[in-house]
Amino acid sequence: MSRIVLEGVTKQFADETVAVNSLSLDIGDGEFMVLVGPSGCGKTTVLRMVAGLEEVTDGTISIDGEIVNDVDPGHRDIAMVFQSYALYPHLSVYDNMAFSLKYRKTPKDEIRRRVGDAARILELEPYLQRKPRQLSGGQRQRVAMGRAIVRQPRAFLMDEPLSNLDAKLRVQMRAEILKIQQSLNVTTIYVTHDQTEAMTLGERVAVVYHGDLQQVGTPRELYRRPANRFVAAFIGSPAMNLIKARLVQSPEGSRHVVEFGSHRLALPERTFDDNPRLAQYVGRGVVLGVRPEDLEDASLAAHPDPQAIIELTVDLLEDLGSEVDVHCSGDLMQDTSDVVGEAADGSADELAQKGRAGTVVARMNRHTKLGVGDTARIHVDVGELHFFDDDTGETIAD
Amino acid sequence: MTIQSTARRPVLTGTRGRKTARRIALFVVMVVAAIVMLYPFYYMLNNAFRTAAQFDQQIGHSVSSWGRLFQDLPVAREFLNSTLICVVAIVIILAVSTTAGFAFAKLRFGGSGVIFLMVVAAMMVPLQSIIIPEYVNLARLGLVNTYAGAILVYAALGTPFATFLMATHYRGISDDLIEAAIIDGLGYGRTFLRIALPLSIPAMATVAVLQFIQIWDDLLVGLLFLQNPQQRPITVGLAALAAGRSTSIPALLGGSFLSAVPAIVVYLIFQRYLVKGLTLGMGK
Repeated sequence: MSRIVLEGVTKQFADETVAVNSLSLDIGDGEFMVLVGPSGCGKTTVLRMVAGLEEVTDGTISIDGEIVNDVDPGHRDIAMVFQSYALYPHLSVYDNMAFSLKYRKTPKDEIRRRVGDAARILELEPYLQRKPRQLSGGQRQRVAMGRAIVRQPRAFLMDEPLSNLDAKLRVQMRAEILKIQQSLNVTTIYVTHDQTEAMTLGERVAVVYHGDLQQVGTPRELYRRPANRFVAAFIGSPAMNLIKARLVQSPEGSRHVVEFGSHRLALPERTFDDNPRLAQYVGRGVVLGVRPEDLEDASLAAHPDPQAIIELTVDLLEDLGSEVDVHCSGDLMQDTSDVVGEAADGSADELAQKGRAGTVVARMNRHTKLGVGDTARIHVDVGELHFFDDDTGETIAD
Repeated sequence: MTIQSTARRPVLTGTRGRKTARRIALFVVMVVAAIVMLYPFYYMLNNAFRTAAQFDQQIGHSVSSWGRLFQDLPVAREFLNSTLICVVAIVIILAVSTTAGFAFAKLRFGGSGVIFLMVVAAMMVPLQSIIIPEYVNLARLGLVNTYAGAILVYAALGTPFATFLMATHYRGISDDLIEAAIIDGLGYGRTFLRIALPLSIPAMATVAVLQFIQIWDDLLVGLLFLQNPQQRPITVGLAALAAGRSTSIPALLGGSFLSAVPAIVVYLIFQRYLVKGLTLGMGK
């Protein structure tokens, strides 16, 4: 068990590409930290630098207070689980798991005991004499985990270890990894591009984009209080709706209103009380963020506020059984900036081309009677709105 | 009462018929190709069992030419020479090409691209164009008419292609595997020995077979660098037999047949590795 601290870590490749830009992260003893971000954001490079497989251009990485920038990977006492599992194909499952212990001159009895224990935990006992090619994907993944466990390292580093598994097995293995990590209480850095995996596994999640750390926090913090529109768009499925809007003083009264297209939503008093910085944005453009689950069929809303209802046309229904994702369009403009586009795994141009610029997604009660082509009266939970600076993309919050 | 069977015989559909016809055509082509390949061996073996007179008339068989072959040529000694030269040269080629191939494929060092390009370029140099300077160099080193001289020449000639093949093979091994071993505490040296080398047996077998056939069958290098009858390989011995005043064609054919056998045997033993090795990098 150990604490891993990254201070101003930068990685610049020979072609001058900056993969990681002055990233600082403090991972506590026994903590499960997930690095998440879209492909090519630099998260794997961070992991490889911690492992010692990439040199650090600038900054320091320390494990248990010892700066390890110049320590060989083999002497860092960390174990890594690769996306491809990286099992030695010519060795049996037993030998794969015992491999590193043999080279560390661990006594044979101790090797047998540790491999046996790991095999029992991972239910690999019947397969110990098999070669990796004779195993299924899930079993190979477990062997890769076993190889890490037997080392009893100071930290586990996991690079998208579940991405080669099918969806069902991935969910199963996710639970197993979490169980093992909690029982062993080993500091773990887990890299994934899958935000669902990040949210379900991580004690804390660090969102990385273009080599910059966007936000670190618990899954709940990231979801409830995203630091910027990238995090807002990246975390959550379906993604948060980000709409170009304008904050104005209501002509009728003291309540403030957020306008987008021909739609107007009256904001509750507490919005400004809780977030005084918003007052600076009255009369200016902002990016309004609404989670799909905060949009409900008005006819099914518990206490609908008449000033919090917008009307949109239903384009598509995705019935998930427990709820319905309703894709609607209307007179509004989604934020189609590059940042949001990449968070949604597509470029902004693609978003615009697909005609999604005027689309929002609502996650509605399964009893909704709406159908494609209907004009939906949608109730917006105005207490749960998010506001972002239109220029910087940062959240508007104190 | 008669019962008529209503079961229909399967109809040979157009597609199936075409498939069968294609198979037959392919079979015929393969048979013709096999005959073309095997005929020289039949010709050698058939005529090796004839005297010179029987060979001229193409009638009758005799074992006397075999006696003459073993009388005129120290076949066993020359076989031993060929084997020694082949084995040592191949060991050197494998030692150099596996380490160099691994370095080109898996290590990051300045100028590796340029050096690899030079290795590939060396494959294009024809032997005939460098054989004279080679001879001069080896003569200066006092290595003409020594096993070491011929072995060095064969090793130098075989190494570029072998290095290219091994580098291609090692590029096919996932970097993750090498990095996993590094994290497991092995240095690059032990990673090479414990992980990369055991995984490169098919490629090494390919190199060994191809080099064996090339070196065993070579005449030019042996002719120039091993003129001493005590050290010459079988090909040079056969050439000497052919250059004799009264050449016995049946004896020569017998010797040629014998000299071809080891290469064939080596090929047959390692052919499954050879196919694997030659298709390296052609997909999963």
